Amino acid sequence: MIAKILRIFRRDALVATRDSMLILIIAMPIALAVGILLFAPGITDSSVRIGLLKDDGAEHIAFMENYAQVELFGSVQELERRVNKRDEIAGMVFMDPGYEIIVQGDEDPGLLNYAKFLNSLFTLGITREDATAQMLSFEKTVPPLKTKLVNMLILMMIMLAGMIISLGIVEEKADNTINAINVTPVSQNGFIVGKSLLGVVSTLGSIVVSLLILGYRDIDWLMILLVGLTSMMLTFIVGFLQGLGSDDVIAAAAGVKMTMLPIAGSIAGYELLAERWQWTMYWSPFYWAYKANDLILSKRADWPTVLVCVGLVLGISMLIFIMAMPKIRKGLS
Amino acid sequence: MITVRNLSHSYSKDGKMAVNDISFEIERGETFGFLGPSGAGKSTTQGVLTGLLKLQKGEVTVAGYDLNKVRNERFNKIGVSFEQSNVYSKLTALENLKYFADLFDVPTRDPHELLALVGLEGREKDRAGSFSKGMKHRLTFARSMINRPELWFLDEPTTGLDPAIAATIKDIIKEEKAKGTTTFLTTHNMYIADELCDRVAFIIDGEIRLIDTPRNLKQRFGQKLIEVEYIADSRPVKETLKTIDDGDRRKLAGIVTSYDIVTMHSKEATLEEIFIQVTGRGLL
Ligand SMILES: Nc1ncnc2c1ncn2[C@@H]1O[C@H](COP(=O)(O)OP(=O)(O)OP(=O)(O)O)[C@@H](O)[C@H]1O
Ligand SMILES: [Mg+2]
Repeated sequence: MIAKILRIFRRDALVATRDSMLILIIAMPIALAVGILLFAPGITDSSVRIGLLKDDGAEHIAFMENYAQVELFGSVQELERRVNKRDEIAGMVFMDPGYEIIVQGDEDPGLLNYAKFLNSLFTLGITREDATAQMLSFEKTVPPLKTKLVNMLILMMIMLAGMIISLGIVEEKADNTINAINVTPVSQNGFIVGKSLLGVVSTLGSIVVSLLILGYRDIDWLMILLVGLTSMMLTFIVGFLQGLGSDDVIAAAAGVKMTMLPIAGSIAGYELLAERWQWTMYWSPFYWAYKANDLILSKRADWPTVLVCVGLVLGISMLIFIMAMPKIRKGLS
Repeated sequence: MITVRNLSHSYSKDGKMAVNDISFEIERGETFGFLGPSGAGKSTTQGVLTGLLKLQKGEVTVAGYDLNKVRNERFNKIGVSFEQSNVYSKLTALENLKYFADLFDVPTRDPHELLALVGLEGREKDRAGSFSKGMKHRLTFARSMINRPELWFLDEPTTGLDPAIAATIKDIIKEEKAKGTTTFLTTHNMYIADELCDRVAFIIDGEIRLIDTPRNLKQRFGQKLIEVEYIADSRPVKETLKTIDDGDRRKLAGIVTSYDIVTMHSKEATLEEIFIQVTGRGLL
């Protein structure tokens, strides 16, 4: 049965290369990731930047390079001009008896704290080798706006997974080939899994590629993929239902696009609602997916929290799955 | 190969039956014709036998499998050609056959050989979407043989094909029969049925009226007919008269002595005429 499922996937992948709409749907998130990278450089900084003078002590520069991305400048004026640009960077200039920190004023407080912290470590003569404590991240090693954009991009890809599935089903319907499959030894479950695989593989692939493009190399990949996979379940159900209920690709795509509503609602709820109203969004699997991704992307996630989110996504999707399955089965027979 | 006992099928809950309490048996190696006018319930019966429609009422075994128990593996022994062709338009003819070949667990036939058999050589690399209706139909037909089926369902295999291709399809069916394949053939074309089938069933309004060999049917119901065309009052008149009917015989004698005969020939009753005689209805 595995061989047949993979065969169905291979056929779908071949057809995808011949279908401009599918190519577009698969390529779009990657293009958006590149767009985020190119047009918003300030928000893609992933580590703390510190500006130093070239004639600063070599020991000090080397120390700072251990903990931050260091930029060097010829004069204090040049350094100040750099600090005044809109992205976040803290300058450090030696003024007897110690270092003075130059900031623009509107930076994240975490940046200033981090710079101060590094400064005291240096002054105390503590090096990496001596330190027994772990470096704290101040929860801000990844700029929050970037995390939010990337998280939205991931949920959009999850929605597109449903669209890919619905287009595959519309193709089978238009060619009337479901009957032909039903007189082969392929079971209905095998067919459903096979038809889901292109959506799974291309979407997980897009998520990985986009995250790499955007510079997330050291996140917990297993967590990200697990959340991606489970949150896809609901869009798959929508994809199958819309595919079976629509006669052409446009109608199917439009139907699946409606899942953007709960997705956008969940994101808005998570970001904008006060803590005591967050529970109003607990029904939405996308809320839990967004929350889990938020923690993972900003490297604050731990397995227990992620597993609770994944469990909730799965549980809610499963309920909908049980309700939708008879309809899907009927449509496919 | 197929046993059907008291099979009924309805598409609605109002008690209107598309197939109503039919029973028949098909022997291994037999070519069985299912004949009837449009809407008689032919495709519905084939749908139930191939498992595409759920068995609602009755006992049916197909290729040794009881249809009340769902076993997908039985399709390894079964081939189905559909009334409406259904192939992937975004795949080439060859890719279509290769794909389906991989979905079976039994040794399959060479796709190139099958395409050549139905006259599609040279078009292997063309997308099925660019094919004419007849070509798609031939591809669907070729696909139904991919798993070397023991039991072969053919729904209107020659309808809408040009006569030369229809003749090719008929030859293929005869070849398969020679190899021992059991065939369930659905059609409204009585000539095809007459030529290919060992036995035929007449179905109308969801019920089987009779089952017999074409030869027996002709002996039982067919009479020699005389078709005569003559001039009466300077106008041409055409009449068909039965040779076994005394009135008709006297009438024929009268015509021959009193009028100018234009044409006159004898003919055997066709299966179609027998169908009309038995069911009181035409085939279209
Ligand atoms: N999907 C369906 N839903 C509802 N009624 C149907 C459906 N398919 C067939 N019927 C009805 O069932 C009856 C039998 O139809 P069926 O398709 O079996 O006829 P057929 O003998 O194959 O005709 P044809 O020669 O036109 O193919 C008809 O009255 C038809 O209207
Ligand atoms: Mg029919």
